[in-house]
Amino acid sequence: MRDKKLIFRLFFDYEKEEEWVNGMAKNGWHLTSFGIGNYAFEKGAPGKYIYRNEMIYELGSKDDSKEYIDFLRDSGIELVKKKLNWAYFRKEAADGPFELYSDTSSKLAYINRFHYLFLFVFFINLFIGIINFILYSYANKESINDFVAGVNTGVAIALIYPILKIMKKRRNLKNQLEIFND
Amino acid sequence: MSQEHPPLTEGVYYILLSLYEPRHGYGIIQLTEEMTAGRVKLGAGTIYGAIKTLLDRGWIQTFEDDGRKKEYLITEDGKKIIQSEISRLRELFDNGVRITGGGKF
Repeated sequence: MRDKKLIFRLFFDYEKEEEWVNGMAKNGWHLTSFGIGNYAFEKGAPGKYIYRNEMIYELGSKDDSKEYIDFLRDSGIELVKKKLNWAYFRKEAADGPFELYSDTSSKLAYINRFHYLFLFVFFINLFIGIINFILYSYANKESINDFVAGVNTGVAIALIYPILKIMKKRRNLKNQLEIFND
Repeated sequence: MSQEHPPLTEGVYYILLSLYEPRHGYGIIQLTEEMTAGRVKLGAGTIYGAIKTLLDRGWIQTFEDDGRKKEYLITEDGKKIIQSEISRLRELFDNGVRITGGGKF
């Protein structure tokens, strides 16, 4: 009988990832740890927990997450695992619905963390990509500029879809704030 | 009223009301849910951000207790904000009732 398992899977969409983790919990597999592209689960009562992932602070800004995690713990929310600024929290489903953000303005503030991070990574990659394309046109055969240019341009292109998705979400939230208070 | 503020969000309104007595974060969530019969369920992330902002503005303060959990309490400035919000809400309510002929359904 196995009561633990490790699954390798790569997600580019943090909401899909959260949905998948919650689907696993419904089937009795509760997330206990994660890394890049791998997730550890432990067997338990099906549907016992609801999971939420969160970018708990912006990379480059001060890590004040300890205070936040303590605050959540006092509110009955358990930290499953934190890696850098990415964390999974869970709460027992018996306690009712579990959302970290409940109003439009705080949802917007949260999604902005992703928006600015993705845009930043996008432009950095685009910039390095273009520089390397230019260098490549001057370089000799053995240069790696074409490879680097390809990788960075690829990363930039891969980010277009999530960026558009987040922009659409931001627009919807902003529209809502024009009629509603929160 | 000397100072005018934009309307408070429902969350901030209920956080301030909850803090007429010292409470910690979870206490605010519970009381708000109770007062609104389950309609307003404040998310812990939302409330954490709001508490930080309200502390910065001086509308609430940390209330030191021997307990492990951090408790907060509304300040005089915070109470003024609540008073002016209540007047604003009364105006909204009175105008609504006057024009529609009351809250009849």
